Amino acid sequence: MPYTTGMDPKEPIPVSLFFTCLADAFSPGVCTATVEVLERFGAAVSVPLSQTCCGQPAFNSGNRKEARAMARKFLLSFPDDGYIVTPSGSCAAMVKHGYPVLFRDEPRTLTRARAVGERIFELSQFLVDVLGVTDPKSDFSGKVTYHDSCHLRRGLGVVSAPRKLLRAIPGVEFVEMEESDRCCGFGGVFSLKYPRISCKMTERKVERILATGASYVTSGDLGCLLSIGGLISRVGYPVKAIHLAEILVGKTGGLSSFAADAASVEPRPPGTVRWAGGR
Amino acid sequence: MGGRPLMELNANAFGRNSRKALLDKTLQEALGRTTGRFQAHRDAAVAAFPEFEATRERASRIKRDVLDHLDTYLARFIEEAEKRGAVVHVARGPGQAREIAARIARDEGVTLAVKSKSMASEEISFNEALQGAGVTVVESDLGEFIIQLAGEAPSHIIAPAVHKTREQISRLFERHLGEPRTDSIPELVAMARRHLRAKFLSAGMGVSGGNFLVADTGSVVIVTNEGNGRMGTVLPRVHLAVVGIEKVIPRLADLPTFLRLLPRSASGQTISSYVSIVTGARRAGDPEGPERTHILLLDCGRSAILEGKYREILKCVRCAACLNACPVYQSVGGHAYGWVYSGPIGAVLTPLLVGLPEAAALPDASTLCGACADVCPVKIPLPDFLLELRSDAREQGLKAPGEIAAMKGYAGVMKRAGLLEAIERIAGVLGQFFTKGKGIAGLPYPFSGWTERRDFPVPAARPFRKRWKIQRGVTR
Repeated sequence: MPYTTGMDPKEPIPVSLFFTCLADAFSPGVCTATVEVLERFGAAVSVPLSQTCCGQPAFNSGNRKEARAMARKFLLSFPDDGYIVTPSGSCAAMVKHGYPVLFRDEPRTLTRARAVGERIFELSQFLVDVLGVTDPKSDFSGKVTYHDSCHLRRGLGVVSAPRKLLRAIPGVEFVEMEESDRCCGFGGVFSLKYPRISCKMTERKVERILATGASYVTSGDLGCLLSIGGLISRVGYPVKAIHLAEILVGKTGGLSSFAADAASVEPRPPGTVRWAGGR
Repeated sequence: MGGRPLMELNANAFGRNSRKALLDKTLQEALGRTTGRFQAHRDAAVAAFPEFEATRERASRIKRDVLDHLDTYLARFIEEAEKRGAVVHVARGPGQAREIAARIARDEGVTLAVKSKSMASEEISFNEALQGAGVTVVESDLGEFIIQLAGEAPSHIIAPAVHKTREQISRLFERHLGEPRTDSIPELVAMARRHLRAKFLSAGMGVSGGNFLVADTGSVVIVTNEGNGRMGTVLPRVHLAVVGIEKVIPRLADLPTFLRLLPRSASGQTISSYVSIVTGARRAGDPEGPERTHILLLDCGRSAILEGKYREILKCVRCAACLNACPVYQSVGGHAYGWVYSGPIGAVLTPLLVGLPEAAALPDASTLCGACADVCPVKIPLPDFLLELRSDAREQGLKAPGEIAAMKGYAGVMKRAGLLEAIERIAGVLGQFFTKGKGIAGLPYPFSGWTERRDFPVPAARPFRKRWKIQRGVTR
């Protein structure tokens, strides 16, 4: 890991937020929460505003020309050094593993892509592995179960970090579900191409979630949560989908994407950001 | 005994096939029971075998070496097998393979053949070829026996009748064998055994597949659980093994590596009930064995795969662990994939063997969750191959124009953050206006499938980028 040594812990750690197009459009509270958590632990967060989408939907559907255009834009949007942190295992895995495939015939871009890939981290991975956070200092309370997003678990190999963080929150009663590492059925474009298979898989996931008796299901990927939350919302199951970042920041209520109060989460003006923990 | 219809290629109907499968209650029950059991057994067997990872690495290395020198190892295998009295045939394509198989049966004067499980033989529609030459072929693997009666194709590599319930099997035995109805599995097995025993004793030829071809001894290795493989290769006068050329391994000494992996990955067994190493024909002084041994090696597209970027798919040992681990396979079963091979291996191998235009729907039949790569005992990068095939489909003009247009539009928007922001703003206003912030219950195509049974998320009234600008008072 290139950036962990020799740094005075009191010095702010430069982090660029890769907020992801999905969270930007459908669940901006996740991005806000990510910023708050990062700042709580001493990161100086900047948000490159020219970023859009990493190109994963195009890459995963085999439309590499379009994926490359988006990937190029991504690589230009982020600064040349400092960490890049994102509240998505899937998007981080795309940059880390997808870009080298996209640019395998373009040596210069490939070098850049690899370098960026070295600096990109999913939120829980960054908190635990880079910042060494053991207590997220969250006042969240409730019974929580965790769904392993495939790309976070298998793509990035992040299994224990989110669990460690959840278990460290005093108000959280953490309970493992059966088959936590089984795909929820989202699969990006898959959910549109084969929606019935996708839904069948989501149904099995939700069954496992309900069996835990948890009030919240959380994950490190919004895509999974939109599929799981969409089914929960349709049927009216007594459980809420909530992103890990929102639990870490200490917000209750679940994803705004399906909630009646989506518009009521107002942004705060500069200087009034709430610190649940303190630096 | 009804002949099975030719293995129809129906892979591009995956969408339609899978919708049918999802509505088939019996199939759903059977799938839930069996794939879960296989997977649990496999996981337990692997957990109890600390050397799994190292063995897997070694197996992968051996297979890679084989693929790098396939011609050499094959030549050695043929030489050694012929030295020991086997007759080796090589078929370039399925048509030639059918011709050779029919000629062997005719030349040997065979009218009845018993066959043990062989996926390779399905590729060439072996049974139809022999039936065309006037030979009756009886499947002797219990699962294959059942689906032969039903006139169906296998839906799983190692458990071909996984989609059948015992009730359905009893009905088949009643109709075709005149047996009384029962729901006892041992009784059903006994019925099949009785019928098959007679066939074994009168068949002129036993047909088998082959899990491994051992180059330094010319042996065909057959891994089974039912004993039918051994009986079929020993009792009849003639033995014919139908095997893909990629199944060769360099040395007999390499076999244990694979035998440690294959049964564990397939069924969670530490070793299968039978491992037969068939080396040549019966020699003087041998107490048993066939008078003549033929080995039919199938290329059928394999050497073309060997030349390209998907070469590592030829490492496959057909254990079916990827099927059992795949949540898509578990949801729809094997028949939805519309050809011999199903699950993740089928989604990659079918397009490579029959041509991508004939099976371009299959690589899309995955969420790319990676569970298949996790369990593959020879470390085939299945998700990478699925992605690669999707890209090939685009390059070969096999994608729907609508998808390409949508992706172009999507990429066009994503080129400019300002444009994205404007669109998000409109979507946000519309979303909040029409849904009052609750999930969206109905959307037009291509989102209609999603909203059939799930709510779609409401676009935020104020996306994050906008929030950030307001909150931090920044514009860049």
